[in-house]
Amino acid sequence: MKLPQKRKKFLILTLVFTSAFLSILMFYEPSDYLSEADYNKALAPRVLYWGSQGQDVKNVQWQLVKWKYLVGKVDGIYGPETYRAVRRFQAKNGLKVDGIVGAETAAALGITLSEAAPASAQGLNRQSDEYLLARCIHGEARGEPYVGKVAVAAVILNRVRSPQFPNTIAGVIYQPLAFTAVADGQINLTPNKDAINAARDALNGWDPTYGALYYWNPATATSKWIWTRKVTLKIGKHWFGV
Amino acid sequence: MERRRWWIAPSILALALILSIAWGYREYQTRKQLQTTLENHYQRIFFDVKKHVENVQTNISKAMAANSSERNILLLSEIMNEAYFAQDKLAQMPIPQSDIANTQKFLNQAADYSYYLIQTHLEGVPLTKEQRGQLASLRDNSAKFNEELAKLQSDLADKNFTIGSMSNRQTARIEEGNENVFQTTLVNIDKNMADVPRLIYDGPFADEMINRKAVGLTGEKVSREEAERKVREFFGGNRVKRITAFEEGENIENVRIPSYTFSVQLDNASEDRATYIAVSRQGGHIVWMRNPRAINNEKLSIDQAQEKARRFLEEKGFDNMEVNYHQKYNGGILFNFALTEENVTIYPDLVKVKVALDNGEIIGFDATPYYTSHHERDIPKPKLSLQEARAKLRDDFEVNSERLAIIPKGKKEVLCYEFKGTHMNNEFIIYVNAENGREEDVLQLVIDENGTLTF
Repeated sequence: MKLPQKRKKFLILTLVFTSAFLSILMFYEPSDYLSEADYNKALAPRVLYWGSQGQDVKNVQWQLVKWKYLVGKVDGIYGPETYRAVRRFQAKNGLKVDGIVGAETAAALGITLSEAAPASAQGLNRQSDEYLLARCIHGEARGEPYVGKVAVAAVILNRVRSPQFPNTIAGVIYQPLAFTAVADGQINLTPNKDAINAARDALNGWDPTYGALYYWNPATATSKWIWTRKVTLKIGKHWFGV
Repeated sequence: MERRRWWIAPSILALALILSIAWGYREYQTRKQLQTTLENHYQRIFFDVKKHVENVQTNISKAMAANSSERNILLLSEIMNEAYFAQDKLAQMPIPQSDIANTQKFLNQAADYSYYLIQTHLEGVPLTKEQRGQLASLRDNSAKFNEELAKLQSDLADKNFTIGSMSNRQTARIEEGNENVFQTTLVNIDKNMADVPRLIYDGPFADEMINRKAVGLTGEKVSREEAERKVREFFGGNRVKRITAFEEGENIENVRIPSYTFSVQLDNASEDRATYIAVSRQGGHIVWMRNPRAINNEKLSIDQAQEKARRFLEEKGFDNMEVNYHQKYNGGILFNFALTEENVTIYPDLVKVKVALDNGEIIGFDATPYYTSHHERDIPKPKLSLQEARAKLRDDFEVNSERLAIIPKGKKEVLCYEFKGTHMNNEFIIYVNAENGREEDVLQLVIDENGTLTF
């Protein structure tokens, strides 16, 4: 069948462009979670997020109420309403919409995130531990029941205390080949409320695994070695062991 | 027309091809650059590990040759540092943890053991024959380790091997000879480390500390049915709608407090939020409980919540518990209760209670520390008077409160005077040994409206 001249030209052109675009798409790697904004967020001295409490949260809420982003109480607790209000504020002001008040959002709100402690105690808090742990929980155990999330955090903390592993939370989490969520970058997702709560419960001493150092999902575990561990308990989809 | 435009399609295609090749080349360059950066990092770590292990080895030899305890303390603190450095860097190598677990343990314990020896030196106790023997074995093992690393280094020196290629081990060809040298050497070192004789000492990484058994559990073994009955009893009334046991592995008895773990559906809870609870196999004690329900409006004051927690503990048979710290988070407030006996606060026997700030319900309970350490104690009479102990503090340390307390020190417990106070606007707790006046511990407190954190 002979196509009309115009049709043929059109077809060729489309083909050329699609192949050009396809070749670009083939090589394109999404790198948005490694963007600068995210790094700044992780390194910022103090960030407020879902679950934060205190005077700083009150200041944020005050501004949001004043500018009518938030209808509700100024209670100093970063709850769902504050979260939504912050997102609305960020969207309106061209900031990254993540519901987290970091240095940039705070500056746009016209407040500084205060540090009330004396100079020598400045920065002494558990927030960075909490946040890192929560990110790891979120990356590793998003679909797990609450107890399964705390269990994953407890394993990380048990490793910190074990001589066979690194001696800091970051050391354990970022140990090469230790967690798949770290290797594939899922750890850089923003943790949800459940993950943050679970991190706090684990840091406050709750260990539903009774001291486990390993966990694995029998459906996806690729290492044969992991089955040589002493199996103790199944929580959610994960087996735990020492 | 057809004649004149025949070149359009091929030239656009050619252009697209050139563009994508250029783009691909740039990507390739970036990738190579990143790979080189990573490889350089790994190489640096590898050389550092070697150097640190070497320093451990020589410093132990020096410490054994040196006679004065001053020199020994300096050398031991160097050994501690170098061993921790080596361990920290080794853990950053792209090697499966199982291949270096024993090596890491060896380095951590070497550091921990040095710290322990520093303490005994400072207390004026000379090294025993056993301790010198243990030091000698540490030296020999780090020497062996060092030798293997040196061999590995010269093996790899003239080969085109990159450490970075090991991080995608699963996909890469493992049969490659070079890689085998690296991996097998480390695995061999690790195997040797597994046979290193156990270090006998008192410190957080000591084997005895890790394998410590719980001493606070009383009573006979209970069955699962009995444990379920205890759970219903714990919540009271007919609050338990449904109770499901967790699936257990064959080694469940190998943990510190072997327990039955249950997921419980309470009458006032939504279907997707279970409450979790553990009952010890020995004695059927409730070890921990946690109800992770959402809490929206906080109505209770801290005092009201504390009263609820106190009454709850009395009800469950924990007498003489005294509240120490609290921490407010997630709409609840967690209280730390410690046992008091004869006016002495016993910190190891700790029970945590979490109260919901909306209706005062107990949503968390953890007696793991209590059951791990509780036993009948003979509390000694303090040899120092309060005034004598207080004289050991700095003059500019302003004391706000003082009392006697027992704090854990490795495996042991020590009776101390506890001084809470401020120094240069910071809050501290200082523990002074009630027997010999040594400053046993200093804790910095950070207090905000949510509670107290200790550092």
